Amino acid sequence: MSGLLRAIRGIAVLFVVVALTYAIFYLGPADPALAMCGKPCSPENLEAAREFMGFSDPWWQQMLTFMGGIFTGRSFGSAGVAIECAAPCLGYSFQMHQSVTSLIIERFPVSVSVALGAIVLQTIVGVGLGALAARKQGTVLDRAITGGAVFAASAPSYVVGLLLLLVFAFKLNLMPSGDYVPLTQDPVRWATHLVLPWITLAILNGAVYARLVRSSMIEQLGLDYARTSRAAGLGERRIDGYALRNLALPVMTLTALDVGALLGGTVITERVFGLPGMGLLLIGATGTVDLPIIVGTTLFSAALIVIANLVADLLGPLLDRRLAAPRTALRTPRQKVTNP
Amino acid sequence: MIRKRTSRLLIAPAILAASALAFTACSADEGGNGSTGNEPAPVEGGTLTIYTTAEDMSFDPATSQSLAITSLGLNARRLTAWKVSPDAATEVIPDLATDTGTPSDDGKTWTFTLKDGLTFEDGTPITSEAVKFGLERSFATELSGGLSYHKAVLEGAEDYHGPFDGQHLDSIETPDDKTIVFHLNSAYGDFPWVASTPAFAPVPLESGDPASYAQAPVASGPYAVESYKAGNEIVMKKNPEWDPETDEARTGGPDEIVFKLAQDASVVAQSLIADREDSKNSFLATFVPPAQLVQAQNDPKVGERLVTSGPGALEYLALNTESEQLQDPKVREAIEYAVDKTAYLTAKGGEISGDYASTLITPGIAGREEYSLFGDDPAGDVEKAKELLAEANATDLDLRLVVRDDQVAAAEAIQQGLGKADIDVTIQTLDSAAWSAEIPAGDGTGYDLTLSSWQPDIPSASANIQPLFASDQIGGGNYNLARYSNPDVDAAIDAALAITDPDEANAAWVEIDKQIMADAPVVPLIYSRNSFLHGSGIADFEIGEFPSYPNYLTVSLAE
Repeated sequence: MSGLLRAIRGIAVLFVVVALTYAIFYLGPADPALAMCGKPCSPENLEAAREFMGFSDPWWQQMLTFMGGIFTGRSFGSAGVAIECAAPCLGYSFQMHQSVTSLIIERFPVSVSVALGAIVLQTIVGVGLGALAARKQGTVLDRAITGGAVFAASAPSYVVGLLLLLVFAFKLNLMPSGDYVPLTQDPVRWATHLVLPWITLAILNGAVYARLVRSSMIEQLGLDYARTSRAAGLGERRIDGYALRNLALPVMTLTALDVGALLGGTVITERVFGLPGMGLLLIGATGTVDLPIIVGTTLFSAALIVIANLVADLLGPLLDRRLAAPRTALRTPRQKVTNP
Repeated sequence: MIRKRTSRLLIAPAILAASALAFTACSADEGGNGSTGNEPAPVEGGTLTIYTTAEDMSFDPATSQSLAITSLGLNARRLTAWKVSPDAATEVIPDLATDTGTPSDDGKTWTFTLKDGLTFEDGTPITSEAVKFGLERSFATELSGGLSYHKAVLEGAEDYHGPFDGQHLDSIETPDDKTIVFHLNSAYGDFPWVASTPAFAPVPLESGDPASYAQAPVASGPYAVESYKAGNEIVMKKNPEWDPETDEARTGGPDEIVFKLAQDASVVAQSLIADREDSKNSFLATFVPPAQLVQAQNDPKVGERLVTSGPGALEYLALNTESEQLQDPKVREAIEYAVDKTAYLTAKGGEISGDYASTLITPGIAGREEYSLFGDDPAGDVEKAKELLAEANATDLDLRLVVRDDQVAAAEAIQQGLGKADIDVTIQTLDSAAWSAEIPAGDGTGYDLTLSSWQPDIPSASANIQPLFASDQIGGGNYNLARYSNPDVDAAIDAALAITDPDEANAAWVEIDKQIMADAPVVPLIYSRNSFLHGSGIADFEIGEFPSYPNYLTVSLAE
């Protein structure tokens, strides 16, 4: 598929995401204007709040206004206190008194910090353990790794995070119990504050990698090329190298998706460790029915995943030359049936 | 859910989440009041950290629903303030004004005079004009969302939409820099209390973009906002222009106060229980979660750092008086007898999470009278209930109890109690936002019963009763959840609101309390207690009789 087609497909996906988010919240019972009405809340105030926030229009019209705002910016209200939201405007949070775009700009570095460390850690640990388990297939070590992986993959991140905090922060007093320090402010404290969140995510996601790598590796080691190599007298390490090389593509695809998802925020991990990232922004907004934040961050996160997918699609051919070959070349030549 | 430190609260501030209330208990002092014992003496200076689960905090007086003794009170003074104490009813005291207001003979005009030498953080004088501007701003649609009690009483307020298009509210007069006069629709005895709500804070006329004032307010109180990261962290520094000599309500102990927002209550509570170095000089503004509460009670090292309030907010079962099955007062009376309050309290965490309730006016409110119209046994009287149901010819009741999803256990306790009197109850749970939209903001057709909780915004009996039982508070996001409409009660409420003599007013409210309960629109269940944790470096951490929250304005660091 050409790059253009991929891009169009990605944009279509984003459009559907926005439409769905709007529809879900507008068909639902919650009224985001209630938060702006005051207490006690008079019917006139409620109507005025609804109108001011742009919630009195039909949902599809609000959606179009929202999409227009991304390119042209918008303003809310009138008279002396109009609120301007410059392009790219992903909406304005009346509860936070800030545009969603600027909130995302504030929160995104936190999620990037969490994501990068977690990705590196979970890939190394997951691939390493998976390959080890495949190599030692059937042994106690293999059972321990696969068993541990099932356990880790199914553990709730809240429990894992809280357990790590209890042990390393509260009992042993080795680690800070949360909070975020910007990288630019103090790189060492940045890292120490993020170690536990990284480990939490690596435990949960690494388990998925380990299981994927283990099963694929076993499959690879049983394939003809591995058997031939072994017969030809190649060392097991070389064969492992070939097998791992063939695993690069599925691992990379998984990683790309994880990068997209992690950048979009890790709700529970951010909550447990008090990290003000995208996940915390989204979950807070869900609780307070801060619709502009919900729609804006959902769209942003969806865009990250679409981009990550696109990157994975584009990187694929670099890792596996077969994907780079033109389609026609891959077609099996028509067999001529010849009689002897 | 803590009132008013949280934007969550902006939605349904008086509705306290059951999860947060559950299992509140009192270990440090079984006496119940949140007094500090033999703690170290307070010192000047240092950094106080306040952890909260709140996502955001508005420092714009126009959009704030903050109680007079919490976050906004550190930054913004109002005309009047609260004097809270663990062993006395909360009193209204002067703040910016020299007294708590002087009413005219007919109670319709209230005059306040500002103290001398008051200045904002930038050194400019605080004038009556600034107080007027602060109030006018609250009428702008763009800045709505705050406590709005003044909007119902100021003359001409219904047609006023804020000062930003050059219009002014004529019912607020400022004859000179020190005097401010309010003209009301009708006599209003609680005006001194209303003058302690956020909108009565001064805002300089040249205060920049109104939309961003919430993040960069101009301080009149002891702390100025230094940095504001929405949903993350707010740093406040001591305001050098604030003069403690003029302020009876605030001590201004710490040099710096840091709010940590959107925290996980369990993690912070753990940290406080362990009394870690980084949380010694801090407290958790959210109720201690159930698991950590049990842990803190059993940990001797925690001791007096766990502070439990006295009985406060009223938790009640609202009976939808518009519902066909509940229109007969006899049926509602039967429910009063059938409800098992002991089962409810057990579901809430046991005896120490609250006291049994039988009145609408809550403990800590001046003039309250204890009485019980429907028997003295909190477990109820099933036989009496059945008798009443037979008399009313209502033996096949099937009621829908609609509650928030964190109240299932409490709802089951109600269900079991009513079940003994052969009343069938179907429980339906909604998430908190959906509940707000269906119950306070709905049309009343979706429920027969619901559970709620109410803590008044001001320590006056009127604030216990008017918002829950006046007929103009039905629907539209308001809290007359019983959808109770009684013209006699409405008239009595209006009459009582007009009484300017406090003792006379208190007596009138007690009568209304009984008058409403005779119609049985709600079943008072418990007056809940809230528990809070602080670090060992904190002094003067007090919870008064009202409200059931720590007084932020007087907390200091310890030696």
